[in-house]
Amino acid sequence: MAKKTLEIYSVELSGMKDIEQTDKGNGKEKYRGLKNCFEPKKNHRKEELTKELDLDDHKLSIKELEKKYGTNIITGLSSAQAAELLARNGPNALTPPKETPEIIKFFKQMVGGFSILLWIGAILCWIAYGIQYSMNTSSSLDNVYLGCVLALVIILTGIFAYYQEAKSTNIMATFNKMIPQQALVIRDSEKKTIPAEQLVVGDIVEIRGGDQIPADIRLLSVQGCKVDNSSLTGESEPQPRSSEFTHDSPLETKNIGFYSTTCLEGTATGMVINTGDRTIIGQIASLASGVGNEKTPIAIEIQHFVHIVAGVAVSIGILFFITAVSLKYQVLDSIIFLIGIIVANVPEGLLATVTVTLSLTAKRMAKKNCLVKNLEAVETLGSTSIICSDKTGTLTQNRMTVAHLWFDNQIFIADTSEDNSNQVFDQSSGTWASLSKIITLCNRAEFRPGQENVPIMKRVVAGDASETALLKFSEVILGDVMEIRKRNHKVAEIPFNSTNKFQLSIHKTDDPNDKRFLMVMKGAPERILEKCSTIMVNGQEQPLDKNTAEAFHTAYMELGGQGERVLGFCHLYLPADEFPETYTFDVDTMNFPTSNFCFVGLLSMIDPPRSTVPDAVTKCRSAGIKVIMVTGDHPITAKAIAKSVGIISANSETVEDIAKRLHIAVEQVNKRDAKAAVVTGMELKDMSPEQLDELLTNYPEIVFARTSPQQKLIIVEGCQMQNAVVAVTGDGVNDSPALKKADIGIAMGITGSDAAKNAADMILLDDNFASIVTGVEEGRLIFDNLKKTIAYTLTKNIAELCPFLIYITVGLPLPIGTITILFIDLGTDIIPSIALAYEKAESDIMNRKPRHKKKDRLVNEQLAMYSYLHIGLMQAVGAFVVYFTVYAQEGFKPSALINIRVEWENSNVNDLEDSYGQQWTWYQRKYLEWMGYTAFFVGIMVQQIADLIIRKTRRNSIFQQGLFRNKVIWVGIASQIIIALILSYGLGSVTALSFTMLRPQYWFVAVPFAILIWVYDEVRKLFIRLYPGSWWDKNMYY
Amino acid sequence: MRRQLRSRRAPASPYAYRYRLDDQDEVNQNYLADEEEEAEEEARVMVVPNLEEEEEEEEEEEEEEIEEKEKEEEKGQGQPAGNAWWQRWQIVSEYLWDPEKRMSLARTGQSWSLILVIYFFFYASLAAVITLCMYTLFLTISPYMPTFTERVKPPGVMIRPFAHSLNFNFNVSEPDTWQHYVISLNGFLQGYNDSLQEEMNVDCPPGQYFIQDGDEDEDKKACQFKRSFLKNCSGLEDPTFGYSTGQPCILLKMNRIVGFRPELGDPVKVSCKVQRGDENDIRSINYYPESASFDLRYYPYYGKLTHVNYTSPLVAMHFTDVVKNQAVPVQCQLKGKGIINDVINDRFVGNWQSGSEDKQAKK
Repeated sequence: MAKKTLEIYSVELSGMKDIEQTDKGNGKEKYRGLKNCFEPKKNHRKEELTKELDLDDHKLSIKELEKKYGTNIITGLSSAQAAELLARNGPNALTPPKETPEIIKFFKQMVGGFSILLWIGAILCWIAYGIQYSMNTSSSLDNVYLGCVLALVIILTGIFAYYQEAKSTNIMATFNKMIPQQALVIRDSEKKTIPAEQLVVGDIVEIRGGDQIPADIRLLSVQGCKVDNSSLTGESEPQPRSSEFTHDSPLETKNIGFYSTTCLEGTATGMVINTGDRTIIGQIASLASGVGNEKTPIAIEIQHFVHIVAGVAVSIGILFFITAVSLKYQVLDSIIFLIGIIVANVPEGLLATVTVTLSLTAKRMAKKNCLVKNLEAVETLGSTSIICSDKTGTLTQNRMTVAHLWFDNQIFIADTSEDNSNQVFDQSSGTWASLSKIITLCNRAEFRPGQENVPIMKRVVAGDASETALLKFSEVILGDVMEIRKRNHKVAEIPFNSTNKFQLSIHKTDDPNDKRFLMVMKGAPERILEKCSTIMVNGQEQPLDKNTAEAFHTAYMELGGQGERVLGFCHLYLPADEFPETYTFDVDTMNFPTSNFCFVGLLSMIDPPRSTVPDAVTKCRSAGIKVIMVTGDHPITAKAIAKSVGIISANSETVEDIAKRLHIAVEQVNKRDAKAAVVTGMELKDMSPEQLDELLTNYPEIVFARTSPQQKLIIVEGCQMQNAVVAVTGDGVNDSPALKKADIGIAMGITGSDAAKNAADMILLDDNFASIVTGVEEGRLIFDNLKKTIAYTLTKNIAELCPFLIYITVGLPLPIGTITILFIDLGTDIIPSIALAYEKAESDIMNRKPRHKKKDRLVNEQLAMYSYLHIGLMQAVGAFVVYFTVYAQEGFKPSALINIRVEWENSNVNDLEDSYGQQWTWYQRKYLEWMGYTAFFVGIMVQQIADLIIRKTRRNSIFQQGLFRNKVIWVGIASQIIIALILSYGLGSVTALSFTMLRPQYWFVAVPFAILIWVYDEVRKLFIRLYPGSWWDKNMYY
Repeated sequence: MRRQLRSRRAPASPYAYRYRLDDQDEVNQNYLADEEEEAEEEARVMVVPNLEEEEEEEEEEEEEEIEEKEKEEEKGQGQPAGNAWWQRWQIVSEYLWDPEKRMSLARTGQSWSLILVIYFFFYASLAAVITLCMYTLFLTISPYMPTFTERVKPPGVMIRPFAHSLNFNFNVSEPDTWQHYVISLNGFLQGYNDSLQEEMNVDCPPGQYFIQDGDEDEDKKACQFKRSFLKNCSGLEDPTFGYSTGQPCILLKMNRIVGFRPELGDPVKVSCKVQRGDENDIRSINYYPESASFDLRYYPYYGKLTHVNYTSPLVAMHFTDVVKNQAVPVQCQLKGKGIINDVINDRFVGNWQSGSEDKQAKK
């Protein structure tokens, strides 16, 4: 099985053997869609990989190694040498991925999004003051203040966004702190424990079972050492190590242990040959850091939205600037108009709101064990259309578990769920009694002491994966295994070795009357069968005939075909007369029979899928998400797991399956008939991008097996080429480049390696694939709710913008001031727009297709049109009515206001006549103007309440959704009213804010318009529901 | 070079065939129990050379592929910038007008007309709503009496002549510097001509309010305020209002407020003083009418609609001996019950401050 790994790795890595090929590889990757700007980094990466291939330490003899590294395997390095090497090569640690400096992150917040527009506004303010100052040195500082306020707004929202961002990143910091690792090293002929960071090339280190290997080491002497390379290669089986050179490829040879992999059992001594970033893991990690971070879909959407709003702002601004200039306004005035238009058009509070909304969802998801590292990734999961899932540890439990048993000519199914609690197969047969005895006795694995209170499945075991599985299996069914073993005293044992392919032990029986010895054996089924002459059926020994052998083979094939690892079990009671109680067994001379055993049964094991996965996969399916398995494991196992979790559904077949069923050659099968495909890394390597594209489009169910980290990257890119939003789940170091490349990388929190967690955007704290479904749901909900929030926020922009346009063209006294607009955008509207994030979904969002990246935009034409041209205009009208009411009741009828602007604003005109012939001083007019601002503000506020209520749903009636279901909305409404009251009555006397007290009746003038807005929107939704797909639906549904 | 020897391999036939072989392999391996690696090694050693060969093959193939792709890329990059812009332009122009589907801005003519009709009706009804609202608004407010007057009270004051600025700065010997004041005053006082006043308005008894009860919509009579009341500042004797002699006249009027009555029957008085600096800079001011007050008979004001001929009462201030060649800030205050003259923000309410009254008389 390791053969495949060999091919893949040797190809991928040795592909860089010479510079020419390096260039080619480069070109190929460029074609694959990697951004060109990362090229310098990539070259660097290539160099590293090339260097790695010089590694021939595994081929060298110990003497040569000693010479090469100037060390001695007995005495180790001297402290002085080590210190010198440490100074030269740096500490033995991975360079953490380059973080953007905090200050740059901070400044990015200051110039991103709308900030640029607002900066322009602020600078225009200062320019306007400059012009004023040059004309009249005693000009008022109003524009300077406004500029400062705008700058303050930008800085405050920037700080806020930065803070939110930093808060969510901080959660991650805890993950990055690893417990400092220790290493046992020989230096100056002494054994010392030093921090692993201080290891240098040439150090002699000792490793024991349970240790993490502290660097890439060449093993010098080994005692039964096995390592878990799963984080590197994806293989869940322990890999034995030896000190002999067994393969050319450093990744395949057994005499090298890799940094960060774990030594499961045995001990070994090795010489450090690579440290830190020069280790294999370090190179994969740098491969990951070389992969550019894709922009998240929500970032793209927000950018798109910012472009729309900025486009509207700038074009209206410039249009009216030109209009104003051609209407013979002074340039200074025109600049001030421009500022007003910009401020009115930019939803200052929106980006902060979006951040809060996202972090609220992030918090909600963290409660459900989805930790979001990158805030924007919250939504990404919602738009995900393809999930590329790793198998080991993500879909499976990453531990061997007994899956099937075969005895009495029957296959029994064992419970493989996480707690393994109820094994319901028939245990009454005598065969089972014998089988269970063999399982218990012929097993060297033991529980580590002191775990009596830990559930059996969670206990730590000393022993390899298969034996662990058997031990736990028997412990669950039979109870205290150690006690049984004690009662059946072991007198001799032949441990498993690869020439024998069996394990044998001889025990005294626990029956005091039975003086016979019991010989139990397990091993490769065919080897075991060879040694048997009888077979046990229903507790009775029967001669092994052709039929039973046939049955055995059928069962063996069936279990093996499911990707399970099969073991055979047999026993033999030694006759008491030949082997008396005092008989001494000698395992070297084998003074006991090793044939004519009685075959008892077969047992198969698999790394079983997590119990929640099949359900989650089904949910993903119904949500229109394609789940692809990408694993480093064998195709057969991968396919079996894929079938059991539903990635390949029960009734779909691969080309091979069809060929098998119809008994025709694979080439003759119509490829269109197959829904599923299992592709190995080798086949993938031979594919052109077009073929990969075709593969990904044509097959809804795909399993990639035997893939290398680079190939995972290629698969992800292939999916992205089809405009899919790709989520990648994984836990191993080998997954980290793909995690980084994916639109959203999801790492496992418990089993995940640090490299994977670093590269990921999201971490599943409970390793539960089902949490992804929650994430998808939350992501989709947040997308919908953001739409509502944006629609809500955009609406009032028109109501804020119209006053300026009318002010310029008709010459009314300014209906609403710039500062007042800021109070709406950053005061009354903030909490309501956040409240929309708490809105429940309108319909089952998990039953619709994921949104199309290019077509289903966050802010689409319909949303903008409806917000701007329908509700927004209604709001503007309503607010103008309040404004006109105030002016008319104070003496200025609308007709008197037209073209009054110049005189109105002239501070030397102190006897301006109103409609009644009364004369107003400049300050009296100014105060009236502020009253107008306040009235307009109140008008918008009242209608924004209606706007908030209608935005609760996009299709359903508010009454279907429930007016009171989302309590936060009401908090929002209350906050709106309270803030407005405070501004008007509390701060009404602060002239700088230009708010005034307002007669109570003016607060109700806009109420009919608010009701009108509500009714209008209900009618809109009614028609959408009544005539789905109609012109109305297409144009009015956002 | 090796590439030349080797014909290009047929494109890797899809997954199927090979997979089957692998499959078999895998199955066999899976049959084997646990740790089989040792035995496998033999097989592996055998496999290796083959593999290497294969690798080479594949590498070459890759080379070929890549070269092809590079060529393609080169082609693509032939005119990269121009192409991109051209394509963009194409997209934009197609968006603006797509001749194939006869669509403009992604809408067909039919769709456009439909949308225009809908918007027309929507905005028409919105306009109707505004009209309705405005109509209701006018129903609720009286045309004769403003609903609220608290904002326009207390009354402000204003001066004449008014010429853009409150600073009086002129040179007696140069008529150009003061001529506009004279014109302004003359123009302003046209409405106060004695003949006109006698013809239009009634001569009502001084010292008491001129209250006219009756219906709101009845036309109201107005009291006479004759130009001649202003004596030396009437411009009748001295058509230059004293500007030619360096003794300027400035008229003060109180802003009209509907229904406003100076409280308790005391007329509002005017008094001027130097705001900052030497009290003696003004030396003497003559007020016309001599009472320096706005007589009660000019109040109350009944509004523009009914009180058509109302003429605001005036107080003229004649600065007969003001210091020359120096800025003199003058503040004139109204004094009377119900008059507030110390509003901080508004220097025109209840008082009037001239920034400076500066006369230059070079003679």
